[in-house]
Amino acid sequence: MPTPLSEALATLRRRHGEAVIRSGDALGGIDAWPTGLPVLDHRLTPEGLPVGRVSLLAAASGASGRLTLLQALVAAASRERTAVYLDLVGSLDPGFLADLGADLDSLLVVRPPSGRWGEGFSMARSLVMAGAPWLAIALPAAGADPGTAGGPRPRSDLGWEHRLSTLVESVAARRAVCLVSAASPLPAALGYASSLTLECVADGWEEAHGDVLGLRTHLTVVKSKVSTPGETAALLLRYPRPFAAAEAVGRPVVIDLTATRRVLDVTAVASDIPAVAG
Amino acid sequence: MNLPRILCARFSHLALVAAWGRHPELRSEPVIVGGAPELRLPVLAASAAARASGVRPGQPLREAQQRCPGAAFVAADEAAVAHLREELLSRLNRLAPLVEVGGEAAWCDLTGRHAAHPDSTGWAVAVARCIQALLDDDDVAVGVASSRQVAEIAARQAGSRHIRRVAPGGEAAFLAPLPLSVLPLDPVVATRLAALGLDCVGAVANLSAADLQRQFGPVGMDLWRQARGGDGRGEWSPGHGLGIPDPSRRLGERIVLEGGTGDLEALRFAVHRSALDLGDRLRRHGCRAAAVTLVCELEDAEPSGLRITPLQQPGSGAELWPVTLELLAGLVLTAPVTAVRLEVEGLQPGAGRQVDLWRGGDAAGEEIGGAASRLRARFGQTAVRRAELTVDPGDLPERRFRWTDPVAADVGGEGHGPRVPEHRRAALLSGIPTAAMPALRR
Repeated sequence: MPTPLSEALATLRRRHGEAVIRSGDALGGIDAWPTGLPVLDHRLTPEGLPVGRVSLLAAASGASGRLTLLQALVAAASRERTAVYLDLVGSLDPGFLADLGADLDSLLVVRPPSGRWGEGFSMARSLVMAGAPWLAIALPAAGADPGTAGGPRPRSDLGWEHRLSTLVESVAARRAVCLVSAASPLPAALGYASSLTLECVADGWEEAHGDVLGLRTHLTVVKSKVSTPGETAALLLRYPRPFAAAEAVGRPVVIDLTATRRVLDVTAVASDIPAVAG
Repeated sequence: MNLPRILCARFSHLALVAAWGRHPELRSEPVIVGGAPELRLPVLAASAAARASGVRPGQPLREAQQRCPGAAFVAADEAAVAHLREELLSRLNRLAPLVEVGGEAAWCDLTGRHAAHPDSTGWAVAVARCIQALLDDDDVAVGVASSRQVAEIAARQAGSRHIRRVAPGGEAAFLAPLPLSVLPLDPVVATRLAALGLDCVGAVANLSAADLQRQFGPVGMDLWRQARGGDGRGEWSPGHGLGIPDPSRRLGERIVLEGGTGDLEALRFAVHRSALDLGDRLRRHGCRAAAVTLVCELEDAEPSGLRITPLQQPGSGAELWPVTLELLAGLVLTAPVTAVRLEVEGLQPGAGRQVDLWRGGDAAGEEIGGAASRLRARFGQTAVRRAELTVDPGDLPERRFRWTDPVAADVGGEGHGPRVPEHRRAALLSGIPTAAMPALRR
């Protein structure tokens, strides 16, 4: 005998489709995209960046390493699949991405007119719905939000938060990987949409003979719907120097400073071996 | 935990089989496929007798002639190879749901159970016999394991007319005593591993992932995964590739409109949704449809339908929608429509889509290119771009690269996919008005 609840469910399914209401066990687990960096794949997350969710690299304004880490991960993704880079900052240097090992043929750069985040999110959504499996978004520093920068917000960009939420829905529907780099304070809509938030805090420059080799940074999981928050790790983001004579080709850009074993690190010169953090 | 079971069958190169088909008298002779030795081309395939003389695929033909002067040189028959490949794909699809066919190897997903072959060994034998019968090749070697990589290595280890099964979970133990040369290693990496005294796969598998990653970067992680019996990054994994259904199969979507409607916008919405859903199923299967049929079921009247054989066979929602729109425009509706039925038939493997099995996420490459083209047409040429490094970069960072079109053939905003009239393109870009959305059910 039909109950009011079963009738309501039947009505909703008829009106909005079978997929609109499912039991909890039919939703399945969360897949992950392994980044290839053990520190991210094993220590900070269970298996890598969650698929179909938004991950966030957050930091205070200034040098924190969030953009370098974002670009290193985009470079890794572009080597195995089509990646989309939504450049809301407007400062992407493809040459640097190439130095990080990116396959530029597999990378689409989306750059909307300045300040029009909403248009950028719409474009990214179109590409994700078309099947783009990996999306990186570089947000400008705090205060550049078209709604808070002081100047009048473009009429066409009203409601970028709504377009962000539709982008998040598309990422979930097409099971794409989405990684956002943003400066604190985070827009509320973005903080809410994130399933994994990693906070980057700079720990100083790595220098040798007066040259900056890279940036030491601490990563902390401040929000996670896929694992336990609170995990931390120390990283060295090594800036690639493709024209340096002594550069070893294929050396990693992201180095885990918390690991102490270096059984195989026979090619590193003394100045290249980072000090163990902590 | 249910591990996948992947079968790899190695056989004589299809180009060689095609050459034997044309020249049966060469079966026991040394044969080199690639063309005349005067041509500056590489060897495509070589028979066992030629390989015994040191001829290898990829060698210049002239060098192959020096190594095996008595060999017969045959040009590759691309049409015959394509036919053989299609036929092999079609036959294997009757035995396994996921299949990939290469030049001299084929992979099948044997995960689960087959109604006719409950035993996995019997299933593998059936696949091997199918290949042997089609190619008339006695050199079929088969390996079965939980990963594509190990299955291929097992097939190489098995030798002709043998099947080598690696027990689920026993991949690392199987690989451990083998030399590192069984893995597809970059020569530089192989040299460095040899310098460190690592001479077998087991020695590498015992190292930690962090050590290998620190030393070799992403390649190190690949190596660590492969040494433990997994697949390299970006390679095929079960459920991640394309399954080609039987070519004679039909796919269809039916949407019921509550109460019947004569509103063309509502009808257009229903057809659009059917086209996208059906196109998505086609894309997931990696197929293209030879014919498309649209039928509108009418209230108190005979259904009205049209069938079309499109010039460009649709393989996705974006390609199917314009075809369906043409059909809808041609229908004569004499009564309110109660249901819409969209069917595709004559399914064929999408041309060139088999290689997508090697890289996850690229099956939608054409569709992403089409979306990028539409975005450029709407938001301007600088909205979506691709960068490429310049040959002569100079000193300034901004001269190291230049911006290019996201799609190579994208000229004047026209992307891949069916050519759509301008007025219809505008309609496509504007989308379907949701205000006219009717209540739908399947």
